[in-house]
Amino acid sequence: MKAIKWSFILLIVVATAGLLAFGPRANESLPKDRVVIDYWEKWTGNEEAQMRVIVDDFNNTVGAQKGIYVRYVSSSTINQKTLVATAGGVPPDIAGLFDVNLVQFASMGALEPLEDMARERGITASYYKPVYWNGCNYNGHLWALISTPTVVALHYNTRIFHENAAALRAAGLDPDRAPQTIDELDAYARVLTTREPGGRVIRAGFLPMEPNWYVNYTCYWFGGSFWDAQTRRFTLTSPPVVKSYEWIQSYASWLGKDAMSDFRNGVGNFDSPQNAFLAGTVAMEMQGPFLANFIYNRKPSMSTVLWTKDVEMKKSPAERLRNYEWAVAPFPTAVPGLKDVAYCGFDVLAIPRDSKHKKEAFEFIAYVNRQDVMEKLNKLHCKNSPLAKVSDDFLNNHPNPYIRVFERLARSPHAQTVPQIPIMPEVVDDLNSLSQRVSLLQITPQQGLAELQVRLQAQYDEFARQQRARGSTAY
Amino acid sequence: MRSETKNLFKGLGFISPWLIGFSAFTLLPISLSLYYSFCNYPLIQKPVFVGLANYRGLMHDSIFWTANYNTFIYAILALPAGLFIALALALFLNVRIRGQAIYRTLIFLPSLIPAVASAMLWLWLFNSKLGLVNFVLRGLGMKDPPGWLTDVRWALPSLVIISFWGVGNTVIIFLAGLQDVPSELFEAADLDGASKLQTLRHVTLPSISPVIFFNLIMGIIGTLQVFVLPFIMTQGGPGRATYLYTEYMYDNAFGYLKMGYCSAMAWLQLLVVLALTGIAFWSSRRWVHYQDR
Amino acid sequence: MPLTRQIERRVIVAPDEAPIARLDVIAHGATSGRRTRPSFKLFTHFVLISTCLLAVVPFAWMVSTSLKTAENSILYPPQILPKPVVPRNYWDVISGEKTSFLLWTRNSTIVALLTVAGTTLSSAVVAYGFAKIPFRGRGALFGIMLATMMIPFPVTMVPLFSIFRWLGSVTGIAWLGTFKPLWVPAWFGSAFSIFLLRQFFMTIPKELSEAARIDGCGEIGILFLVVLPLARPALAVVALFSFMAVWNDFLAPLVYLQRPEQFTLALGLQNFQSQMGGTPWHLLMAASVLVILPVIGLFFLAQKTFIAGITTTGIKG
Repeated sequence: MKAIKWSFILLIVVATAGLLAFGPRANESLPKDRVVIDYWEKWTGNEEAQMRVIVDDFNNTVGAQKGIYVRYVSSSTINQKTLVATAGGVPPDIAGLFDVNLVQFASMGALEPLEDMARERGITASYYKPVYWNGCNYNGHLWALISTPTVVALHYNTRIFHENAAALRAAGLDPDRAPQTIDELDAYARVLTTREPGGRVIRAGFLPMEPNWYVNYTCYWFGGSFWDAQTRRFTLTSPPVVKSYEWIQSYASWLGKDAMSDFRNGVGNFDSPQNAFLAGTVAMEMQGPFLANFIYNRKPSMSTVLWTKDVEMKKSPAERLRNYEWAVAPFPTAVPGLKDVAYCGFDVLAIPRDSKHKKEAFEFIAYVNRQDVMEKLNKLHCKNSPLAKVSDDFLNNHPNPYIRVFERLARSPHAQTVPQIPIMPEVVDDLNSLSQRVSLLQITPQQGLAELQVRLQAQYDEFARQQRARGSTAY
Repeated sequence: MRSETKNLFKGLGFISPWLIGFSAFTLLPISLSLYYSFCNYPLIQKPVFVGLANYRGLMHDSIFWTANYNTFIYAILALPAGLFIALALALFLNVRIRGQAIYRTLIFLPSLIPAVASAMLWLWLFNSKLGLVNFVLRGLGMKDPPGWLTDVRWALPSLVIISFWGVGNTVIIFLAGLQDVPSELFEAADLDGASKLQTLRHVTLPSISPVIFFNLIMGIIGTLQVFVLPFIMTQGGPGRATYLYTEYMYDNAFGYLKMGYCSAMAWLQLLVVLALTGIAFWSSRRWVHYQDR
Repeated sequence: MPLTRQIERRVIVAPDEAPIARLDVIAHGATSGRRTRPSFKLFTHFVLISTCLLAVVPFAWMVSTSLKTAENSILYPPQILPKPVVPRNYWDVISGEKTSFLLWTRNSTIVALLTVAGTTLSSAVVAYGFAKIPFRGRGALFGIMLATMMIPFPVTMVPLFSIFRWLGSVTGIAWLGTFKPLWVPAWFGSAFSIFLLRQFFMTIPKELSEAARIDGCGEIGILFLVVLPLARPALAVVALFSFMAVWNDFLAPLVYLQRPEQFTLALGLQNFQSQMGGTPWHLLMAASVLVILPVIGLFFLAQKTFIAGITTTGIKG
């Protein structure tokens, strides 16, 4: 017995020694003759692989010429890690931030202003679509440039529509087009929802919380916003916002909150065949153009109805649509006459203030923002382009056949980005919690929004007061 | 040099690592924390004194009170029941039967595993559609088993249940205490014709009261600081149902960069822990009997 | 009576106790010494077997899931025994491109070794001072040290972050973004270890140190040549417990480590889960098993030391 024990111990000691001596190390295989730029990014899986293509392109071309090597590091909690690392004086050279974090970082002085370096390259307001340019500017400075943008629209499953054509027509609805108002959307949803005899939902026509990525911005389609930038006040209790949350809650009410949470429990992760839209358990949803990539990867049958991909890509843009059993339309609004409303999110590349290689870092950012590179990246990521000029090749050979819809929405006067609130992360957490509680029927929208209005306004006012006390104008 | 002074130098010399470490990594941070609690300190920028603003802000902060409430409920659910279960198990493990050592080992094992691994495991077990727990419940005839981590009513109890699973540590301590009880006491009770229950109440429990007291103190300190499981499993959801105190502190510090605010919360927690421990110490006069040797 | 005195009286037993020597009793189990009825024994068996099942089934399920294919792992009703058995999952976890399992293990090992060495060595030195050298204020300082065990980490985590950043800027040696904040404080003693060792040292008879002193040994000599060799069991307990604390630690690495390549295993496991997007349960369970294995293995190798350590804190606490 003792012999076994001691041989185990010996084994462990040898294994440990081996691991320490020969195990993987952090800084392997970096070129010694170039400036190494640490680029921290949030993407994993396929999106990471696609960005790495761009990084490799840079390292092999401009990077080789100018002696720069970009090292791509992937981390899921990128915003927090970057913030803490910047605060700790050990930031990356380039941070791939979410849009909701940009103004927070900028207002705290964590980022390097980029407008001068950008202007040298001809990257000015006219180079971008206005909605995205405004999103990257705050308090008189340019704080980041975009890597990949997004814009959301209504995705609907045309196969489910056609299978239920009779029922839709009986309800006075047209199965050959998308709903055009919120009320119509609700009507379509009711017809297309199927249940078991016991009440469990088999398929939901639509669910505001599926996905819940854009739920906080629902008020845009109700004609309002929860933040007034002029007065610097939250408008959480304004009628459009209240109506939007009432609309969210209405789904929990008519579906039954247990049925809904039960249903949501069975929904798989986004990047899997159990994704509700892919599995057909939800007939309509609000999503960005990249959904096409995930559909093609996880449930290709939805995107190869008539031809394989290479055959399809040779067809004309109009012909291509026949290969799909899903379609895209602007997400309907609740305000008569209000059309082409869209939330435009974006991922940015920013340079932390304490970065040691700012000029070299900007080389990479400028490279990504070259029209050809930007279009290559966003074709790979299956997203739209943030640039004002878009090539025909991009529009015609984009993996998403509905790219023109997204591009049009991104240029719409009603396209909006995340509000520029420095305490946005806290706002996001609170709004997420509110939408959860509202759709669990735990609280009425009026009550929840009133609470948040008081709390968030107080937090913001305190923040603003502190900024002013420090002599900052960023609040 | 007088031997007393010589000893003083020698003594301080030997404990100097601790003295330095204490000053640098405990005393200094605690004092700084107190100072920061009166400041606005976004970490990236320098702290600015603001007086009681953070504390006042906390009093009016509905999420602060939510976190407090959740932590309190968790402690009430987890601590007394946990101690009771641990003590009961220890009593059973103390009965002379075959396989004692195996039982003890198996019951102790869950308390060893890292919290992160435990979080992953229970995320999987409590999955309301595919998880083992609901599979068993449905097999037992329950038509509509709870949604556990995704159900507002059951999320916090789920965490409490997981804490019961890891009770082995406490059981072993109770067991050791039970075995410390002098057998003469039991023999005397036996002679007096006491029933099992009476022995338990009048002999066993008083004898191990110091151990109960120790586990109580450890339990108070532990349950008020629970962080890893809710952070990984539910991130405080659904709808902030499992949003506990330490996670709100973490979010304030490293999510919203409100270090001053977080420090105020930390100090309040410290005061509560000290107060509760103080109360426990004070009440221990009544019910803790040390075997004075 | 001053508070420190009270703590000492309540928390610490008189010095002529030999805590570690009791471990035999625990391991083999003395009982209440009365004859127990067979029906009660049966009942006890029933209770204990049920409890053990509840304790062990989760582990078994974790291992079972870890050996299934991706599709089988999400079957419902669940497949009790994996068919086919896929040990390859473990290989995928270790060598997968998206994960850095070996790297994280190496990181955890480095931090653990440095911490355990530091804790054991420094705590022994400090405990010797508290145990063997009578000096004024010793009791008060010991009481203060005990009190620090009650301070929650969150109270100090923010200022420590600031302090480490300041250290980095002042000395030019980076602290944040390295492992230093995790293991350097261990080299200044840990309250728990100091307490344990001090209790043990006090059981070592004065005569031994006296004899060494007569032979010309200084205090340090006595510590290393006389006391420490006798204290091997206690040192084992300290080493074991500090290893467990470091291996399982999540919050400190979460706060101090930013770069994924530096993550310890605990942090890495969580990163693994969130990186994977689609929660592949079979891989996640395999990863969790790998994380648990060293701890369970250590337990079975050093069972007696474990139990002794826990019971000592409990009885004497």
